[in-house]
Amino acid sequence: MDSITTAASVVAAGLAVGLGAIGPGIGQGSAAQGAVEGIARQPEAEGKIRGTLLLSFAFMESLTIYGLVVALVLLFANPFAG
Amino acid sequence: MASETVGNCSSHDPLLDIDSSDSSSVIKSDEYLELQFRVFRLTFLLTFFSVGIAGFFWGIQASASLLVGALSGIFYFRLLARGVGKLGTSSKIVGKVQLLVPVILVLVSSRFPQLDLIPALLGFLLYKPALIIQFLSMP
Repeated sequence: MDSITTAASVVAAGLAVGLGAIGPGIGQGSAAQGAVEGIARQPEAEGKIRGTLLLSFAFMESLTIYGLVVALVLLFANPFAG
Repeated sequence: MASETVGNCSSHDPLLDIDSSDSSSVIKSDEYLELQFRVFRLTFLLTFFSVGIAGFFWGIQASASLLVGALSGIFYFRLLARGVGKLGTSSKIVGKVQLLVPVILVLVSSRFPQLDLIPALLGFLLYKPALIIQFLSMP
């Protein structure tokens, strides 16, 4: 792998993780805030709120995982490496 | 008179009734645990079918990679569920430890020639169809 491909892969890996984590991070923060407020206001619905929070967290965090996987593939199993 | 009023309040107010709040918290955690078990059961079922189909069509290596990926996906979901379960009680944030699972999976499948990367990643994402089915079946 030549140096330009290596440098581009490292920069792309950093961008994939960094940019990919912004949206899910904001979304998870606001979802957790809403869930904790909801549990505090309505403790009898805690099980339902936690279940819905778990499902939405799993969906949101998969976006982070996609960026992470792209970055790891670029770093450790680069398809552009000659 | 005053003590009688206090006694009446404590016996009828559900917020002050320790026994009923304990039993309701058990019901709540049971509901959450039941949701987790349903998702795990669906994921294991999907894993069983996918591993069989992959072994039949693409061979034992793809099947083993899919199985390893699916098991790590289940482990990831277990860690995420534990983090969400702790939220608001013993922790103020949901931890990010579970994100180490796909990292380790990609590293292991890129280091070991016995494992393929793509089937392992597809196996890791097998918990998502189970989640979608669970989400659609929620009342």
